[in-house]
Amino acid sequence: MDMLGYFSVKKPDVVHETIDGETVIVNLENGIYYSLRNSGVDMWNLLEAGANLDELTEAMIGRFDGSQDEIRRAITELLVVLQQEGLVKVSSTKREDSQTDLVQPLNEKKKFDVPVLEKYSDMQELLLLDPIHEVDEEGWPHKAEESGTGNAEEG
Amino acid sequence: MPKRVENWSEEEALAFFHFVHTTYNRAESNAGGGQERHFLIAGRPVRLQFAGPGLIPALTPALEHLKDSPGSPPELTVLLWDSASTGTALPAILSRYLDVLGEWWVHLGPRGEIKEITSERIRAAYHLGPNIFSMIDLKENTALYWVKDSQALPYYELGSPLRTILHWWADRGSCQFVHAGAIGRSDGGVLLAGKGGSGKSTTALACLEAGLQYASDDYCLVQTEPQPFVFSVYNTAKLRGDLDLARFPHLAPLVSNQEREQSDKAVLFLQQYFPEQVSRGFPLRAILLPVITGTEKTCLKPASAAAVLTALAPSTLFQLPGAGAVAIKAMSKLVHAVPGYMLELGPDIAQIPVLVADLLARG
Repeated sequence: MDMLGYFSVKKPDVVHETIDGETVIVNLENGIYYSLRNSGVDMWNLLEAGANLDELTEAMIGRFDGSQDEIRRAITELLVVLQQEGLVKVSSTKREDSQTDLVQPLNEKKKFDVPVLEKYSDMQELLLLDPIHEVDEEGWPHKAEESGTGNAEEG
Repeated sequence: MPKRVENWSEEEALAFFHFVHTTYNRAESNAGGGQERHFLIAGRPVRLQFAGPGLIPALTPALEHLKDSPGSPPELTVLLWDSASTGTALPAILSRYLDVLGEWWVHLGPRGEIKEITSERIRAAYHLGPNIFSMIDLKENTALYWVKDSQALPYYELGSPLRTILHWWADRGSCQFVHAGAIGRSDGGVLLAGKGGSGKSTTALACLEAGLQYASDDYCLVQTEPQPFVFSVYNTAKLRGDLDLARFPHLAPLVSNQEREQSDKAVLFLQQYFPEQVSRGFPLRAILLPVITGTEKTCLKPASAAAVLTALAPSTLFQLPGAGAVAIKAMSKLVHAVPGYMLELGPDIAQIPVLVADLLARG
């Protein structure tokens, strides 16, 4: 996993909203959605703002009360997971619109908890995900009920 | 790995749109002249112009409650045709292109969007299975809808037709297409959010039976400003399997697709039987998340905004080609504007409308 560089959310395939202290993240490419809470929300906001690992670590230590080693380890582990899930990307140059300076240290730090990326894949059947190569004699794809292709329909 | 496809320029996409448009013109000419139907969708005039009569009985019953008289200039015109009933084969080059889309893992996004034709102005999607081609010019507010054979449309397209086109169009206004049910009264109602099987349809039909107004059981349009409001798009109700039909036995004879595959849902067009209770829309007072719990008593419990957004956003986004950051922002705004509740469903469905009516009576 790439830890050297500036992180950002993998737009436009990944969309997200933070609402009442929880970040809902949706990967439009694979039909999986996620939730982050507590320190994970702060970390996501820093990634969205274009932070690199040093900025991320400094900002999180400035905002959370906990063992620095534990915070560093948790950051690294979450970054690995977020990259594995294809939610963030890394670039070698800082974005022009990077806003990491907007995330300020807190006078009264919050208690640190290890961020957990909760993952939900119960709606993947709504998307076209598995390639098939059969077409019928006219060259048209088989119908969904015959081949498993075709966007499903929710009720 | 899928091959990368190059985006067409907007000029190329527009030229392609015009080419497909000429194909519609030919179908209309072959079918003996177009037939117009007018609807008021989210309060805005929409004209459906059919090349011939073939698609009209398939696509208009779901929209019947929004029927409008011709008059106001349409804010959206959709040109619709099928090859079978108009006796108009696609031009070879277009037919070949759709064949190429059969290699969908290269050309189609996961929601059926045609990757190479995605610009600010022009959108296109190909719905595999029924093989529905949809395209829109958002500057001219004109859309094209083609299917090979009107007789081969699946039940869900009959129940909620033109969903992709209406989503593209509404997205440019102040409305957001959402995957949700809606029931209530003329002065206010609730949205029902959740994935398939969560109990949206059962809740909506239980409320219909109890005399509440019905605006949706799965897809509708919502807005937050100037006030939270839901607009009905389809007067359709869907029932899955024998258990649903057993819950609502008097609806069984009203099912429009009596001869259906076992895997298909039963589709009813409520405007035909309950016109007084089918609503064009109402202000939104709350968002309910039905969940089948099996507990004795049906009850409402406050839900967090994040839980409501999670129930509403992913299933909406995954079904609408091109929906993304704007759509989730719109849904988030709505979730902020109205309270959310878990609707824990017990076995006695008669308790559902009582709870909903109580909630609405609180104002």
